[in-house]
Amino acid sequence: MEKIFCDIRKCLGCKSCEIACAVEHSESKNMFKSIREEKKSRQRVVVRSTTKEPFPLRCHHCEEALCVQACMSGAMYKDERGVTRHDPEKCVGCWMCIMVCPFGAISRQENLALKCDLCPDREDSFACVEACPTQALFAGSWEEFKEKLGQEKR
Amino acid sequence: MHYVIVGGSAAGINAVEAIRSLDREGKITIISDEEFPLYSRCLITYFLAGKLAEDKLKYRSSDFYEKERVDALLGVKAERLLPEKKKLILDNGKELTYDKLLIATGASSQIVEAPGSDKEGIIGLRTYGDAQSINARMVRVKRVSILGGGLIGLRAAYSLHARNKEVKVIVKSNQVLSQMLDRGAANLVRKKIEEKGIQVMTGLAAVEFLGGKEVTGLVLDDGRRVQCELVIVGKGVRPNLELVEGTGIKAEYGIIVDDYLQTSLPDIYAAGDVAQAKDLITGQSTINALWPCAVAQGRIAGLNMAGKKVKYDGSMAMNSVEFFGLPVISMGITRPREKEYEELVKEGDKNFVYKKVVLKENRIHGMILVNRIEQAGVMGILMRKKADVSPIKTMLLEDRFDFAKILPIIKEGKELFAEQEFEESIISY
Amino acid sequence: MREKEKSIDKASQELLEIAEKEGIDTAWDRYEAMVPQCGFGELGLCCRNCLLGPCRIDPFEQGPQKGVCGATAEIIAARNLIRMIAAGASAHSDHGRDVAHTLLSAAQGKTKGYGVKDEEKLVSIANELGIKTNGRDKKEIAMEVAEKVFSEFGQQHGELQFSHRAPRKRQALWRKLGIMPRGIDREIVEVMHRTSIGVDNNCESLITHGMRTALGDGWGGSMIATELSDVLFGTPRPIRARVNLGVLKEDEVNLVVHGHEPTLSDVIVTASQDPQLIELARKNGAKGINLAGICCTANEILMRHGIPIAGNFLQQELAIATGAVDLMLVDVQCIMPALSSVAKCFHTKLVSTSPKAKFPGAEHVEFKEEEALSIAKKIVGMAVENFKNRVKEKVNIPDEKMDLVAGFTAESVFRFLGGKYRATYRPLNDAIINGRLRGAAGIVGCNNPKIEQDWGHVEMAKELIKNDVLVVVTGCSAIANAKAGLLKPEAAFQYAGKGLQEICEAVGVPPVLHVGSCVDNSRILITLCNVVAEGGLGDDISDLPVAGAAPEWMSEKAVAIAFYFVASGVFTVLGNPFPILGSREVTDLLTRRLEEVVGANFAFESDPIKAARLMIDHIDGKREALKLRPVMYEKEEVMVK
Repeated sequence: MEKIFCDIRKCLGCKSCEIACAVEHSESKNMFKSIREEKKSRQRVVVRSTTKEPFPLRCHHCEEALCVQACMSGAMYKDERGVTRHDPEKCVGCWMCIMVCPFGAISRQENLALKCDLCPDREDSFACVEACPTQALFAGSWEEFKEKLGQEKR
Repeated sequence: MHYVIVGGSAAGINAVEAIRSLDREGKITIISDEEFPLYSRCLITYFLAGKLAEDKLKYRSSDFYEKERVDALLGVKAERLLPEKKKLILDNGKELTYDKLLIATGASSQIVEAPGSDKEGIIGLRTYGDAQSINARMVRVKRVSILGGGLIGLRAAYSLHARNKEVKVIVKSNQVLSQMLDRGAANLVRKKIEEKGIQVMTGLAAVEFLGGKEVTGLVLDDGRRVQCELVIVGKGVRPNLELVEGTGIKAEYGIIVDDYLQTSLPDIYAAGDVAQAKDLITGQSTINALWPCAVAQGRIAGLNMAGKKVKYDGSMAMNSVEFFGLPVISMGITRPREKEYEELVKEGDKNFVYKKVVLKENRIHGMILVNRIEQAGVMGILMRKKADVSPIKTMLLEDRFDFAKILPIIKEGKELFAEQEFEESIISY
Repeated sequence: MREKEKSIDKASQELLEIAEKEGIDTAWDRYEAMVPQCGFGELGLCCRNCLLGPCRIDPFEQGPQKGVCGATAEIIAARNLIRMIAAGASAHSDHGRDVAHTLLSAAQGKTKGYGVKDEEKLVSIANELGIKTNGRDKKEIAMEVAEKVFSEFGQQHGELQFSHRAPRKRQALWRKLGIMPRGIDREIVEVMHRTSIGVDNNCESLITHGMRTALGDGWGGSMIATELSDVLFGTPRPIRARVNLGVLKEDEVNLVVHGHEPTLSDVIVTASQDPQLIELARKNGAKGINLAGICCTANEILMRHGIPIAGNFLQQELAIATGAVDLMLVDVQCIMPALSSVAKCFHTKLVSTSPKAKFPGAEHVEFKEEEALSIAKKIVGMAVENFKNRVKEKVNIPDEKMDLVAGFTAESVFRFLGGKYRATYRPLNDAIINGRLRGAAGIVGCNNPKIEQDWGHVEMAKELIKNDVLVVVTGCSAIANAKAGLLKPEAAFQYAGKGLQEICEAVGVPPVLHVGSCVDNSRILITLCNVVAEGGLGDDISDLPVAGAAPEWMSEKAVAIAFYFVASGVFTVLGNPFPILGSREVTDLLTRRLEEVVGANFAFESDPIKAARLMIDHIDGKREALKLRPVMYEKEEVMVK
């Protein structure tokens, strides 16, 4: 399954990924317009830090998605691609998903849970990966990512 | 292969999905005594509050049973179980023969034993049916008394307050949410709901109900009278064990199951609010009557029934709830009695912030987060994995605590954090 | 960060706990929220100088290696760095300009609040500037001095007078390299020109001009500020005082001055001693008026009047959080705009005074030289009136205060070392030559939440004096060391090595000498010139067994200061690095190649003990080159090496 990985050694904490994510999920999908939208868009990837380095915290679209299991309304679900999706229509803001997500990748926006949806409006790419200036973020499969890391070591 | 599942709520539905993930051919029959199918019990209070339309109560789509090719017998109750013959007798006279049986009959609201408790208008709040009964009376109800300060009680209070009723919550204990929270956190919740006009009366119990056919009030154990046209009983639940009586299946508080959710008799499994399984934190055999536990148990029971041996790590007490914009999450042991537990607390009364972690030998055994709930899941995984948190102990309650801070622990404990997603996180760390 | 990891100062720790309880956010909280900070910025690889950008160079070499105009990491990092020098030099130079202007106004009789306090120094400077002094009225001399000095700001050609104080060899080197500053403002303007799009695109060229600009600060703006402040307010003499938040008083009006220019703070000292105002204070229920300072303006009035210091840079919010500050008066530099948010939680009035420095939530009472004393009295009056609004339950003055001795200058070395009969540097030079003193070091600079408050300064000072290195301190570093008790004469017996102890005992000084505010770093330059002139230790500043350090720096002013020291030949160690590490070439230039050019390098080391070791090794190297006797009381461990 194609999802987002990160080589944190290359992350410089510039937060371009955060901006790109927020813009992608805004109404206008344009940075200058989106910051003036009434209902401000929110980033779903957040750059936190370990004690030394920046660390982009993101949804891992886990195979055994604990959030899907915990969701009491069925708002969290797995779609055909295996992406963990969230249906805001069904969400009641009970925060069971937040309670079980080991990564803390789910945040609250007013009364709804918010998390990475792997950019369903885009054809073949993810906004954050495209925006990353050091290519620390990678889009692909786990095997592909491991291979890439292995290659770079050489 | 005939799989029979008694009970169509969290455990039952997840068992169906688990079985179907392994066995697309076997016959599955599900029996539920509720006519209204496939809904999430937890959403009932939102429905009652008027915040959720009926069609939004669905936990799975209406064609779920069809799509999963399940024979659903709704509004039917399983009356007798004959394990030697592998037979189940239903209340409509039908008989079913099973290969694998899952008992997921859940629990029912505790009833109050007091004079007048048979009057109309004294209702539990657990099922769609309960919600219907309450709704039917709403027009004549001005004042509501809620018995019990637990999750059901307070959620019920919230719902009826949203319907503009005058609400009083009568709590036996000296704090609300005594199963879930400690004093400090409970006080914040109480403050918040009292701010909104819900009255909380602690240290009291109802000893008598007043009125004719319909309830008009109740008498407290301190002699005072409370007028109300509706009483909601939120005094906990008791497991529905009728089916296993006389069958030899071992039961204590609930049906005792092993690490594979099998009962003391072969081919018979139990899951959900009726099952008594191992508690992940305390190690004791207990019932954690919580939705996510029922989901997990139903799923694992289903996998085991379909032939894949999957061990159940155990259930963990965990609750997430929000009152008027104040979110509260708690897990595990929140009010330790023994001395060997270490409690770390951070309070910020001014902004309704309360954080607590309960440790034993540097492992998290319990936690409470009020208002700042974002990192609950990070604490949760440390709890479930029983990880040694000494490297970050002092950081746990700080605002900057997050998943990035536990990377060193994950790196040290690769065998513990075996799931691929953890490997994904630390591969470049 | 728990409170104990944020600062080694107990007073700060106490107030941080209180701030947390009260929900008051501090610089430490805002820093934590800001982490992780952008790596492109930290590495100096971000350029926003034109709209072809903003551009970023990828340090991992996958993304762009050139900005849109073609600028490489070298160019971008060097441009950013010298703009920091320009900003720092501007701050110091504007300060000098203001002091020169005040002297001029005083000389012209336009203001009653100021006059010439140190006539001897005025005459000495006049002589140096080639101005006739015999038989002339001090006002006349002052006017001419002020005008001459003033003109150096706008001059286009020539050299700065005070740069001629440097050893001849050093001046010759500057001329040869083309870095002799021509005019104070001119060099700063040229930085802005060179660093805008499509001008100077060579990192050596940029850094070279950066050095010239910094020299225009050290031997120009800052030195003017120091010298003329001495003329106006008196040259400091050794003086006893107290430091830390415990100097605030429960039963007196607490007026805290914060900022940099003594033109304001010195007059406040006078105003706060006004009997009418003291009487007013008594009427309002206070026992008197307690003046205390924060940051450099505190150092100015400490050095000259012994006024207590409430704290250094990171304590500015904490001072207000004691609930005991009736009025905080600010002028320019290092003043956090966050102050009004803290003041709002208490009765504290925040008053800004400079037309160049306005702050959100502050009441602005513009300070005009012509009405200096009356405005000062008005502000003191405001503080007195506010005393009754203090909320007793919110007052938490920590019981932390430390004695100190301050007031050392380049002149006082002559006086106290020479004794009664001959004012001379000979004893100091001899002490270094015969090894009783290994050498000298200057520890300067700010606080920064990135480093545990004061830990960098104090640990470094202790390590150096333990190894018989005489330490001089300025600015927030001086305050840090003072709080830790190192500015007491007794500290020599607690912490100093045997050689330094002997000297401190003989002369009666602490092992760490407070020489003033950040512009007073120029005093260190003058002292170094005098040491060279005295003889026996080489013929240029770069020959001296000395080193400089700024362990907790944050301000652009620190960049300017570090650069003028290195350009003058003093090896300087910075705690956190300059934002240039993204460019290998610039890093190499500053930390390795600069020595061949100006006789000194930079080093970056955030561990104060390791940094001290770098300085000691450097000093030892200089001693060896001068063929001096080995250090008298060399430490055993070092000898075994």
